[in-house]
Amino acid sequence: MSGSLDVGGVRLKSPVMAASGTFGYGTEVPLCDRRHLGGIVSKGIFLQPRLGTPPPRIAETPSGMLNAIGLQGPGVEALIRDYAPQWASWDFPVLVNVNGETVGEYAELAARLDGVPGVSGLEINISCPNVREGGMFFGNDPRSAAAVTSAVRQRTSLPVWVKLTPAVTDITEIARACEEAGADALSAVNTFVGMSFDLQSRQPRLAFHTGGLSGPAIRPLAVYLAHRTARAVSIPVVGIGGIAAAEDAMEFLLAGCRAVQVGTATFVDPNAIGKIVEGLRRYEELLRPPD
Amino acid sequence: MTYDVPAPLVSRRKVAREMWVLGFEAAPIARTVMAGQFVNLLMRPGPLLRRPFSVYRADGDVVEIVLSAVGEGTERLLDLTRGELVSALGPLGRGFQLDAGPGRVTLISGGLGVAPMPLAARDARALGLEVAWVHGARTQAELCSEADADRYYWATDDGSTGVHGSALDAVPPSEVGHVLACGPNRMLAAVAARWPDAQVAVETYMGCGTGVCLGCAVPRTSGVYDRACTEGPVYRAGSIRWADLPAHLHYRVTA
Repeated sequence: MSGSLDVGGVRLKSPVMAASGTFGYGTEVPLCDRRHLGGIVSKGIFLQPRLGTPPPRIAETPSGMLNAIGLQGPGVEALIRDYAPQWASWDFPVLVNVNGETVGEYAELAARLDGVPGVSGLEINISCPNVREGGMFFGNDPRSAAAVTSAVRQRTSLPVWVKLTPAVTDITEIARACEEAGADALSAVNTFVGMSFDLQSRQPRLAFHTGGLSGPAIRPLAVYLAHRTARAVSIPVVGIGGIAAAEDAMEFLLAGCRAVQVGTATFVDPNAIGKIVEGLRRYEELLRPPD
Repeated sequence: MTYDVPAPLVSRRKVAREMWVLGFEAAPIARTVMAGQFVNLLMRPGPLLRRPFSVYRADGDVVEIVLSAVGEGTERLLDLTRGELVSALGPLGRGFQLDAGPGRVTLISGGLGVAPMPLAARDARALGLEVAWVHGARTQAELCSEADADRYYWATDDGSTGVHGSALDAVPPSEVGHVLACGPNRMLAAVAARWPDAQVAVETYMGCGTGVCLGCAVPRTSGVYDRACTEGPVYRAGSIRWADLPAHLHYRVTA
């Protein structure tokens, strides 16, 4: 896949991006062929530093993993000081994944990031299952989702993407609400809430008890939701959920997504994205619109 | 520098009851690994995520790990046939930091906590340090049969060999130098109480091993969580909030 493509005002270098929380701030992952990176989404950030949740934070499940990291991070000022200057010199775009406990916090964060060199766009996270306040709660009600989206929209000139939660009855309702509130693109979907018990201790395997399920286990669920989302809105949809190979990315593209994000696969293979982009060359034919 | 190499299984030997050493040819890792660092192994077919192992020995082009079957990943590793490939990512993490001798290090290991000790002994000797090794297990049959030190001391929970008690109980006061320890987190907490300046290699669940997933959180006394895969797995014992680090890990992927 060569050439760049425009997704909601962000120029991606390829259709395959690194998903938030799976590529740090872009400086950590070794051995990734960065020429192939379409772009990256930073680890989710809040205005203030956050400690995250106690361990155990992850548990492997069949073909997947549960995580409850709790959006550990240094806060926006450290992100602007320590990472954004490096991003400004990279040839692929970096979006910042934006989080808040209130609509006001999302808006303030958006305003703070507006105009920061190195930041190419915002991905509003209204779908994190692992925080007690905000997060997913904004994402499962169309009015709240719209309120966050329009508050951010009013405070930034950057492209605004909204990352949707799968934990809703009708994702199209939320998707349309975000589109009407000014979103430039939608990321679909975040992790599914899950739980697993340890038989020896008879306790949940995660200290937070619940976690977000990712990995190939969720792929068909995610393809379905991305497809429904793509049919419901006219802004681009970026598909996410268990992509580990070019064929998996193709499923999301055929489902109507403009681009995809890869997450858990990077934990398994630091160069997963490079391999997926190379693999996609075999399928260029399939992506051409029919005559 | 981190490498990801296809690594064929080249050797396998039993070192205690239900405890095995596997050797993989992984030249760039074998040549650069330091004591206390680890490799993250991927098996296909196998479980989704890699499995982290302290490097036990490095000899020429071969990296060795020590393991028991505790879950899906270790069972798969013990089923490998000679020549079968895994993907080996490493060396990862920050290992033991040793100052040049003269001086003395005391290695304290419990059960599979022997894992980083042969390399620690190698590096310590190379720096001119004298090495005493205290190793404990539940019973004689579970004591690792390989040891590499100037002097050895054993302990068993059931008293079948050596001191009746934990590895800590078997440390002769005259032998205490700079302490390097590895074993169950409960044992390491006891090490921390006695020797806060000891260096300990902790065990956590791990996602990526490269610093991005933040899954291997280690609670520090400074109040933060950091990453066993990057700032660790070796820490100053007194810098960890032991009560907040899971004392025992279960491994089976529930299916």
